[in-house]
Amino acid sequence: MTMTVAERAALLSRVTLFAGLPEASLQALAELAGEAEFGDGDAIVLQGQVGTGLFVIVAGAARVVRGGEELDRLGPGDYLGELAVIDRMPRMASVFAVGPTTCLALASWDLFRRVDGDPELVHSLLRGLALRVRHLSEHHSH
Amino acid sequence: MGEVDARPFPPGDYPLVVVGSGPGGIQVSYSLRRLGVEHALISADDAPGGMFRRFPFFQRLLSWTKPYAPVPRGSRAYERYDWNSLIGEEPSHRAIQPEFMDGTSEFPSRPEMEAQLAEFVRRAALPIRYGCLWEATRRDGDRFVLETSDGEYRCGLVVFAVGVAEPFTPEMPGRELVAHYVDTRDPETYAGRRLFIVGKQNSGFELASGLLHWASRIVLASPRPAKLSVETNSLAGIRARYVQPIEDRFMGGGVYILNASIEGVERAGDVLRVRTRATDGGMDLAIEADEVIAATGFVAPLRDLPALGVATFGPSRLPAQTPYWESASLAGIYFAGTINMGSPGLKKNGVAGTGAVHGTRFNARILAREIAERHFGVVAPRPALAPRDVVGYLLEEATDAPELWNQKGYLARAVLFGADGPYDEGIVPLQAFVDGSGPDGVAIGLEGDSEGVIRPAAYVRRKGAVSEVMLDPDPLNEFRGSSDGRARLTAALEGLLR
Amino acid sequence: MAGTEELIDELSDLALFADLARPELAGVAHTLEEEWYADGQRILREGFSGTGFYILLEGEVAVRIEGQERARLRRGAFFGEAAILLGEPPGADVVAAGRVRVVHVAGPALHEFLMRHPNVMFRMLQEQTRRLRSANRWAR
Repeated sequence: MTMTVAERAALLSRVTLFAGLPEASLQALAELAGEAEFGDGDAIVLQGQVGTGLFVIVAGAARVVRGGEELDRLGPGDYLGELAVIDRMPRMASVFAVGPTTCLALASWDLFRRVDGDPELVHSLLRGLALRVRHLSEHHSH
Repeated sequence: MGEVDARPFPPGDYPLVVVGSGPGGIQVSYSLRRLGVEHALISADDAPGGMFRRFPFFQRLLSWTKPYAPVPRGSRAYERYDWNSLIGEEPSHRAIQPEFMDGTSEFPSRPEMEAQLAEFVRRAALPIRYGCLWEATRRDGDRFVLETSDGEYRCGLVVFAVGVAEPFTPEMPGRELVAHYVDTRDPETYAGRRLFIVGKQNSGFELASGLLHWASRIVLASPRPAKLSVETNSLAGIRARYVQPIEDRFMGGGVYILNASIEGVERAGDVLRVRTRATDGGMDLAIEADEVIAATGFVAPLRDLPALGVATFGPSRLPAQTPYWESASLAGIYFAGTINMGSPGLKKNGVAGTGAVHGTRFNARILAREIAERHFGVVAPRPALAPRDVVGYLLEEATDAPELWNQKGYLARAVLFGADGPYDEGIVPLQAFVDGSGPDGVAIGLEGDSEGVIRPAAYVRRKGAVSEVMLDPDPLNEFRGSSDGRARLTAALEGLLR
Repeated sequence: MAGTEELIDELSDLALFADLARPELAGVAHTLEEEWYADGQRILREGFSGTGFYILLEGEVAVRIEGQERARLRRGAFFGEAAILLGEPPGADVVAAGRVRVVHVAGPALHEFLMRHPNVMFRMLQEQTRRLRSANRWAR
């Protein structure tokens, strides 16, 4: 499938990580994003590898696996790889496509280039991660 | 009115000494006397008034005393509309400020304020030892010794009400070429001169406003952008009175406002040259001026107290204080007046308690009660309340209580629930209630939210845990009849109103 | 403004401000408000609205949820931003463990502060990432 920039921007605007991002920032991200197709069982990212991309699932599904154990299932609108993109450290888990799966991929170097001149983008990432931390700590205190 | 000894309180032994005869010292001493707590009041000045004997230069205060208010003059509720009178219990000691105003403004002039403070001292027949300069402090076992120009005072407790009054100019090359705000001369002597004012807070803008029609050019500079009170929705920021220079700047009227640090001042022939370094991406500039004035604020004149163990912090070197204004690091040392800014309170949405008279006069009265109870065994009565009256009483206080209105997010009315039912704990520092322990209870105060809308905020303590209950605002700030407030408070106090 | 030079020096030592040149740091130092806490005083209060963003300059703080200590933070650590970014009250108390000195940005001023200093924000993002990684290690 091939999406227009506007379609990509619309998809990105629904991702919690980019919620509240101004239209101009979304447009710029959409222009940088590439589409990646994965077949059933293909690795989207592999545990231990240094990450160079952030993926947003457009269609299909994926499972998050660490040390052979399935940790989570992801679907359209979910994202993965956001930590490795920011700190360029090895991935903490592998993610495999479940059935044919399409993702929007943002390369870390493209994202880093945007960060310099786009404080709103950094702000939305910070907010997105704060939300993740909050969910984690709620999960653990209940 | 009894005769007042011209030089009371000779050096010697006292349970408590209050230092300072500005509004803070006068109020705390008056309130202590009402409670029967023996103490000495000493002051370096030769008359009451503290900073109001000199400031503000341009002769009008920023704090109103409204001659016509929705409530009767002299009532407790009127204190909300009269920010300047000290608070007395006797009818003749109340609402003195409006008696001393000539009707041209709701803001008293400096001499009118000074006259009010002196009149309060006179009517209350408050003994003060003037001309007695506190010079040094030391410990003697668990007591303190104040060395003064008159001799030594030994005491168990001290209240320092010495203001935040010591002029401060930051270190910079050429500092000796820079005058301080306190050195400001008569306005006409600035006629046709180019001024460079360091500092963009109220004192900087007060100078700029006062000299606007005298100076030929005014540059205001400091590293941080100016904030306006009408934008911060609080007393923090430049007050509406002083925004004229900002308007002139936008109209190109010879006023310039820079976000820049001052790297140094040097003499260049007959003029001064100020080197500035932009902090906002603007240009670095060397600016010529005939006069450079530092409106860079004041520090607390604490002398040797830090060496004795009083922790200080921040640009004004304020002593860190507990919610009851005791030094957070040295027990037995208390503070009253403007210096109370060292106990900023919860700072919700960044708003601290005010250090101005309209707020600190109430702090001083609470401090007197706290000292009387903790150190002198004088316990104030706590009237019982009928359980069915508690919610109405809290909403009444939110509507009218001057302490709550003048110290938003800082002072609160507390009702506690004892074995015999609810009773009125009085006005307390909000922080002491929410962080302290004690019986179940509720405290109500007023708070501006992030949009500046004023709302009552209740805090309910059950088994030591405190929860926040924000009530709805009212367009006319009339919370008495609020059905929402009544319902929410009743629900929050479920099980306690017995 | 006493002591601002000292504050600038202190800030320049913190990782959070490592990317800022002196003039920008001076602007930051004048924007931040300094606060001092005695042992046991609460800095953030679980469930209270209107909180701020704090950077720890001196001392240690304990992060407590329902009275139980969950973490300790030391010099250079920051806290309080999540509640402001999410528009929710803090999920934990932060309590001074011994004497503590912090600098503070009021909640309503945080967005502007971050927009003005994107490098500081990016450092915060990296730290947040590190926190998530260590949380994830024992989570999913």
